Amino acid sequence: MTDSIHLGALPENVDMTCPLMSRRTFLKGIAAGAGALAVTAAAGGGAIASTGPVDPNAMAMLVDLTRCTGCNSCALACKSTNERAEPTTIPTKIDANAYSFVDVREVSDVHGAPLKVFVKRQCMNCVDPACVSACTVGALTKEPGGPVVYESSKCIGCRYCQYACPYGVPAYDWDNPLGLIHKCEMCADRQAEGDEPACAEACPNGAIRFGKRSMLLAEAKATIASNTGRYVNHVYGEHEAGGASVLYIGPVPFAALGFPVLGDETITHHGESVMRKTPIVALTMASLAAAMQFMTGRRAKHAHGEFVAAVEQSADVSNRTASGDHS
Amino acid sequence: MTAQGITRRHYQPEPVGATKLNEVEAAPFRLEPGMVVVGILGFLTVMGVAAGLARLLIGLGGTTALSDSTSWGIWIGFDFALIAFSGAAFTMAAVVHIFHLHQFQPVLRPALLAGFLGYTAVLVLLLLDLGRPDRFYNFLLYWNLHSPLFEICCCVLLYTTVLVLEVAPDFLEKFGWTKVRRFVLWLMAPVTVLGVTLSTLHQSTLGTLYLNMPHRVSALWWTPMLPILFFTSAVMAGLAMAIVAYRTAVRIHQSPEETKVIQGLMVGIGGVTLVYLAVRVGALINNGELFNLDWSAMRTWLATIEIVLGALVPATICLVPAWRRRPTLQWVAPLLILAGVLMNRFNATLASQTAPVAGSAYIPSMMEWMSTIGILAMAALAWYICVRWLVRFDGSHEAH
Ligand code: SF4
Ligand code: SF4
Repeated sequence: MTDSIHLGALPENVDMTCPLMSRRTFLKGIAAGAGALAVTAAAGGGAIASTGPVDPNAMAMLVDLTRCTGCNSCALACKSTNERAEPTTIPTKIDANAYSFVDVREVSDVHGAPLKVFVKRQCMNCVDPACVSACTVGALTKEPGGPVVYESSKCIGCRYCQYACPYGVPAYDWDNPLGLIHKCEMCADRQAEGDEPACAEACPNGAIRFGKRSMLLAEAKATIASNTGRYVNHVYGEHEAGGASVLYIGPVPFAALGFPVLGDETITHHGESVMRKTPIVALTMASLAAAMQFMTGRRAKHAHGEFVAAVEQSADVSNRTASGDHS
Repeated sequence: MTAQGITRRHYQPEPVGATKLNEVEAAPFRLEPGMVVVGILGFLTVMGVAAGLARLLIGLGGTTALSDSTSWGIWIGFDFALIAFSGAAFTMAAVVHIFHLHQFQPVLRPALLAGFLGYTAVLVLLLLDLGRPDRFYNFLLYWNLHSPLFEICCCVLLYTTVLVLEVAPDFLEKFGWTKVRRFVLWLMAPVTVLGVTLSTLHQSTLGTLYLNMPHRVSALWWTPMLPILFFTSAVMAGLAMAIVAYRTAVRIHQSPEETKVIQGLMVGIGGVTLVYLAVRVGALINNGELFNLDWSAMRTWLATIEIVLGALVPATICLVPAWRRRPTLQWVAPLLILAGVLMNRFNATLASQTAPVAGSAYIPSMMEWMSTIGILAMAALAWYICVRWLVRFDGSHEAH
């Protein structure tokens, strides 16, 4: 029932109307038991990382790899909107100075002919982001509308997010003695003002489309269906690691283009299920240890009241023996 | 401090051999081995402090070989190994204060001290590794209950406080603060339970940390059982460290060693290591890796060495009565366990990992080595000074 650790007001962005989530939450609560809950409650409210299923109104981007010509308008627009240095230099990888770039991949098409595919890469703004679940201080959060945003003032620079992200996205600013994490936030600020992400707006070829995730998904599938042979039958990002806010359709299998092959389950579900057991583990261990201490202590005729004497006495005995004074 | 130590050694009422009597006369003019130890460790410490300061001023980019594809390096490797080694404190506290096996009392003090100083070193290393060391306290302000690292930070902080309480009586005794000491001792029962609980949590959560990297960590290491593996290996390493600390302390004080105590701990190590091996090998069978070993890969060799030399061999030594009675093997077994756990933490952090976006290979920088060795030397130096001069260990009853 980690989702309901909020004892105070629930944050606005937690969708409690979702039946799946509240039922799961409820059952977990029962299972955890009153004692475990008491401990969790005593621990106070913390940032809740995980989100429920995809928000029906969540926004997303659809990248059509067959339309991209590699002009890099998107990558440069990204640099300038995020106020990165050298705004006219075309980036060749994601780093602290470039939140997106166009990856040039030479592959062979279905007939074996060489094919150059331009892959625009950036943070996938996952549906259930591993980085958000992992972040020590909750500096990364998932907005219900889609973006995964970063609150730099909280970040301690532990770089755990870099290890949790299956796409290798979060970048650390290595040259700065007080470096921070940098990553694409799907232009959350622009979206808040009703604008498209800068890359989608900049693309002259309609390769990056911005819209409701549900609609873009339908559109992607329709595009694949009505253009036999042009696309592989796979919308990358629909299910990968629990789904993403950036969807791709392309001409060759995605693994050939350097996309990680990920299952449908979230990256962090193993870790989260263990983390949820924390109060139970703590309580069990504490009671076992206390019970053992009490029982063996009695057996050794060192009841609690005599504990101090027992410790001191045994210390003296052992110190004598340790020093070889056995007499 | 040195003068006092020497004085104290000479007033020992214990029977002393002829060599010791000679020492009394020659002492003021002799270069003691202790001084050499202090000198070397002190020198390494100073180098480490310098390297650490350079890192804080220049930043991670200029002083380390870390990059976006390998952003945790030897600092984290040693950190996590050191947390396991420092398990000496909670395992021995449990043996003596929870199971009330008081025959192990002589091991407790050196082990608690080693644990406390180990955690102190961990905190310093972590501070160097943090991208924003100036904000280290942020985890107290902003909580993410899903994050293993958040839990580890909280537990390590609380547990270091517990360790301060656990080692306090030894120092209070030295300084003669009897009343405070009695109060702290009175607290010891619940404090020990708290310490064991906090240790169980963060030692296992260090394994959970890697659960969040199924896409990066090779299946030779990744298994949902990681929390259990990390916990059991911390108990193994803790008991092994306790033996090493005890045997070293005994030598520093030139007092006789209680071989029964060492053997008892070795039986414990053997038992726990068998559990560890069962889970470790069971996981490899379960995910099919064991029947698919690729001997051309470096990783296979690393995992094999780690399991065979770091667990199987020492467990066997510990469990064969004739072997565990041999003084040499009483060094070999715990040291192999420590090496195995060190290797395991390094493998989990470095060798087992494949970054989603490949970067340049990680070869630790000079600064990383210097600061790591320096911080380890600092902990060893502090332990040596405490065991030799500050904490009663050798049975002299002169504490006021
Ligand atoms: S792609 Fe990586 S950084 Fe972006 S939301 Fe997903 S896990 Fe986080
Ligand atoms: S580096 Fe910053 S954003 Fe990334 S996990 Fe650590 S605290 Fe969170």
